[in-house]
Amino acid sequence: MRRRVVVLAVLAAILSVVAVAAVIFPDYFRLLRPSVLKQLDPRVVKLVNELPGVDRQNQELLGRLFALGGLAEAKEGPDGVMRVDVRAPKGELIWEPAIIVMPRSGELEVDLSNDDPYVHHAAIFPSNGDKQFVMLPIHSRGRARVTLDSPGYYWFDCPVGNHGGRGMLGLILVRGDVPAEARLDRPEQPRP
Amino acid sequence: MGPDRRRRSVRVGLCLLLAAGVLVACSEERRDYPLTEQGRDLGSLSGAAGSAPPVAAGVNFERILRARAEPQNWLTYYGAYDGQRYSSLDQISTGNVRDLRPAWTFQFGEFGIKAGEATYSFEAAPIVVDGVMYATAWDGWAFALNAETGQELWRYKHEIPVDTPLCCGNVNRGPAVANGKVFVTTPNAHLVALDAVNGRPVWKQVFGDVRAGESATLAPVVVKNLVVVGTSGAEFGILGHIDAYDLETGRRVWRRYNIPKPGEPGGETWPEKGEARNRGGGSAWITATYDPELDLMYWGTGNPSPDFDGSVRPGANLYTSSVVAIDPDDGAQRWHYQWTPHDLWDYDGNNENILVDLDGRKLLAHFDKNGYFFVLDRTNGQLVRVAPFVERLDWGEIDPSGKVSPRKVPTREGVDICPGPAGGKEWTHAAYSPKTRLFYVPTIESCANYRVEPVEFKEGLPYYGGEANTLPDHWGAVRAFDPSTGREVWEWRNDKPMVASVLATGGDLVFAGEPTGELNAYNARSGELLWQHQTGSGHHSNPVSYSVKGKQYIAVPVGWGGWVKGFAPGTLGVPRGAALMVFALP
Ligand SMILES: [Cu+2]
Repeated sequence: MRRRVVVLAVLAAILSVVAVAAVIFPDYFRLLRPSVLKQLDPRVVKLVNELPGVDRQNQELLGRLFALGGLAEAKEGPDGVMRVDVRAPKGELIWEPAIIVMPRSGELEVDLSNDDPYVHHAAIFPSNGDKQFVMLPIHSRGRARVTLDSPGYYWFDCPVGNHGGRGMLGLILVRGDVPAEARLDRPEQPRP
Repeated sequence: MGPDRRRRSVRVGLCLLLAAGVLVACSEERRDYPLTEQGRDLGSLSGAAGSAPPVAAGVNFERILRARAEPQNWLTYYGAYDGQRYSSLDQISTGNVRDLRPAWTFQFGEFGIKAGEATYSFEAAPIVVDGVMYATAWDGWAFALNAETGQELWRYKHEIPVDTPLCCGNVNRGPAVANGKVFVTTPNAHLVALDAVNGRPVWKQVFGDVRAGESATLAPVVVKNLVVVGTSGAEFGILGHIDAYDLETGRRVWRRYNIPKPGEPGGETWPEKGEARNRGGGSAWITATYDPELDLMYWGTGNPSPDFDGSVRPGANLYTSSVVAIDPDDGAQRWHYQWTPHDLWDYDGNNENILVDLDGRKLLAHFDKNGYFFVLDRTNGQLVRVAPFVERLDWGEIDPSGKVSPRKVPTREGVDICPGPAGGKEWTHAAYSPKTRLFYVPTIESCANYRVEPVEFKEGLPYYGGEANTLPDHWGAVRAFDPSTGREVWEWRNDKPMVASVLATGGDLVFAGEPTGELNAYNARSGELLWQHQTGSGHHSNPVSYSVKGKQYIAVPVGWGGWVKGFAPGTLGVPRGAALMVFALP
């Protein structure tokens, strides 16, 4: 009897720790979804498992392997413009997030802040019309409005020094398809 | 330890965990600074003037029809609708060409990552209107320049996804200009109409599906109230098509697929069952020529898909590797001629169709990748004459009646066949001088090992059904041909393939660039090399001629690249470049 109470209490404690941790660290728990686990590629896991320093400056490599600064989806506002915040954190030479996801083609407003007391940064963004350039002195905030009208991925960069090579190379992923009238008049076909 | 104490320690643990989480969350919170920095156009931080004089407003269909009457300008892709790439300007001539020297250079060494980093190339034919030059580069760039000084007037960038499907290169062959607008196609198959004064977009249409492997590289052509374009992508099993858009509104007026449906004329040249025709290729990536009297456009069409494995597409595979004569008003086909029936060698049929009138006949001349020089009656597509124009040719024979007898076809084991997949002449255009009555042709002497490797079709994946690897020994020549006899009149040999468009001028000169950077001027009658200038990078573009304030200029975009692996793999290491160079007499 007493043993069963102990077992139950331990189980309850574990469950509540898991539940609370799930609330506090949702990102870790989302990784445990079967759909994600199914896609876990041992070669990718190896990257951070065997080279844990690839996402730090001057450890495994000289810089930080780019695109390891996380991912954020741009949110569409009532005016139809998608928006996202991107920052340069202290002493890391990365963009956070390093991958911006646009759910569809259109206009994206990027709110940038340089929280890095080590160095001034700048940003260069792809945009129809012309590339967009934003200066980012230490402890400053800037804004870029970009238009991307085709599915696929694009890059953005900090053009100061070799910050891009050190880790400040980011990607913008645009999801969606071309307009229906642009597609080929042929039956559905297999995608790889 | 009693249950109470245990519960208490769990509670404490959870609180600590919570506190740690809050702490982590707080440290990641962004600092709030006032918004002081705004994004700016990169071009606003340059010497660009920001606007061009409104000269393009006066360019309309009537003026393009009579382009030869204003030799100071280069109003359309080939200089005129006939595709002759001939400028009647004669200030620079055989007598003084030795004094030709650089007048100005426009450099465009951009920074950043682009699709096909190793394949971008400067291929454009600049358009010149009353002292203003409009040009395009790779990766969605377009410019207006002062044609006398080279000063940048405006620039436009269309952003191209880094993962755009490209068979061969990140390239663009130039703009079209009419009604105050500059029309540009982009690698991701958009057609953009720009305001010719400030470079801002007026309208845009998407005419290809990047997920299906479609892209675009050609210069648009303006005919009447339409701007007409075609797609690239037959290496991905697309369905090639040609689209026409209203100049003013951008509304699509017609689309024509180059592969017929079952029941349509030509439909019987595809297997009745299965999907072969739906992935049949037949792209249209080279600008059409146009005969205003017959009111016909002449479009070349590309290879069938898959390129090398013909077993999935028994039949002649119309209208691939052909020329189609179509009505510009509705895209209806009047006649066709297939250069390479059931193409198994990636010979395409896109090469330009040059319109010449000889002995009272309306003719169409075409130097095909398959190594044969065809002359057709362009009123009805009847063959007038056919003869080989390269030495290395063993894929098959075409007899004087036009009968095609293939001799060597790709096999599973691999077999050497000539010419290779870049052909006896690549897309880079020949020129015709009405003064000398000769054609000037950039040629390639190459062979390749062709191998069949059957693959299942998957959308967006390369769909070659094998491979063709160009063999190491390849060279080339500029050759002059007399269309009335089909005979070669002179030849200038080079130890590398000649893969840049030729320009013929009224000064009895012929200009052609080499892969190793030399721009050459030849005597148009004898082929004697009269002048040479090392530009620093290889030539794979369309030189043009124009004049401003009575001074003649020769303009040539320089920047080696494109599908070098196919047309001249022995020059893959030639220095890359990104310059538009303009020459004049002192
Ligand atoms: Cu930086």
